[in-house]
Parts: sequence; structure tokens; C-alpha cells
Amino acid sequence: MSGTTINLLYFARIAELVGKRNEAWPLAEPTTGVQLLAALETRYPDLAPASRLKLAINQTHAKANAPIAPGDEVAIFEPVTGG
Amino acid sequence: MVIVQESDFDGAALQAALREQVGAQAGAIVTFTGYVRDFAPEQSTETLFLEHYPGMCERELHEIAETARQRWQLAGTVIAHRVGALSRQAQIVFVAAASAHRGDAFRGCEYMIDALKTRAPFWKRETLSDGNSFWVQARQADQDRTDAWNTAEASAAD
Repeated sequence: MSGTTINLLYFARIAELVGKRNEAWPLAEPTTGVQLLAALETRYPDLAPASRLKLAINQTHAKANAPIAPGDEVAIFEPVTGG
Repeated sequence: MVIVQESDFDGAALQAALREQVGAQAGAIVTFTGYVRDFAPEQSTETLFLEHYPGMCERELHEIAETARQRWQLAGTVIAHRVGALSRQAQIVFVAAASAHRGDAFRGCEYMIDALKTRAPFWKRETLSDGNSFWVQARQADQDRTDAWNTAEASAAD
């Protein structure tokens, strides 16, 4: 399965907006953060504008144009507010 | 030392443990403690819920501590952060930096809490005493402080 999907994780307000904390997202070919966020906005209109959201790829902060490959763990969240 | 836990922490005990770890190398330890505060003077906070990204969170905190240790020659560090439901005035976060001299300890401690606020994957949900509940929005001032540390490092490298 890991060859054709990515493992999406949602946190905080984003988890509430999409109504789940994780899901397997079909991904047959490499994509970018920008493309993934656009696809998520189509699937979950409440996320608009999704371009404001942050990504982590395999538990590391990633820029929006970072490449995403099948099998990756990709987290989607709003800017962090700890401390 | 990096700790992420639901239960409360004892800042004095963490400082004592750091002092024991660094021994006589460190002439200075600077600590910072963050508490749940009221949202506004006329809007008191009832509870604060801290969500985090297990795994990435600890990794980021270790990386922040390692950056501080190298940049300011710290002998040792502590970062402790609570998650879950926290009541009004509860402790949230504890950061400590041990160094030979106070200047490095002050700067290392301040850098770690500033970097934590913009990099460590924690999110706060605030519930006010009037029942109003919302996810806290990130502040530009926090990002500006982290950017300032990065700018200072870049100009020091010139």
C-alpha cells in the first residue's frame, strides 16, 4: 500500500475542519506541497485558503514547494502556538 | 534533557538535575517558566488544551537544544513542555541553559523558548470562563523574534 498512498496527519483546527486525524491519501506519482494543498482544498472546501497551511514531511518542517513521494508521512497544520 | 508530558513538572528539580549534570563547568544557569495566563484582562482563561505531534515534537525540541548548545557553548540544557488539559495559571513550559558565563546562558535560554514557539508542533485551544472556545492564532511578533535570531546568526557569519 505504501507505494500508492501517503499517510496524511491532521492536527488541531485542521483535524476539526476535515473531521479526522489521519487518512491514507492516494498518490501514485511524486507531487509537491502546493499541489497537495490544492487537492486537499478541493476535497475539503472548509480548508480554503489552504495555501496558508504548513506542512511537515516525514516529521520535518517542509516548504510548500517540497517534493512529496508515495509512502511519505505528511502532516498538515496551522502555524504552531506552543510555549 | 527534553521532556514532553501531561503531568506537571518541578522546575527546581529540573534545574538541580541540570546542575548535577554539568557539574563545575557551568558558572551560570538561566531558566524560563511559562504559565497559562488570562486571554485578556476582562476575559479570564478557564482551561488551555495543548495538542502536539508526537515524535516530530521531541525531534524539533532536541534540534533546538542542539543548535543552542553549539551556538552559545552551553554545557547543558533542559526543555520541558506539558500537553493535554491545563488549568488557569498552570505551568506550561520550562527551559534552562547552563553555561560557563551568564551572557551565553541568557541568550541560549531566550533562543530556545523563541525557537520553540515558532517551530515545535504544539497547538493551544483556549476555553474562556464565558464558555467561548477557540484555537489560538500564531502571533507575528513570535515569528519576528525567531527571524531576528536567524538574522543575527547570518550577520555574525559574515
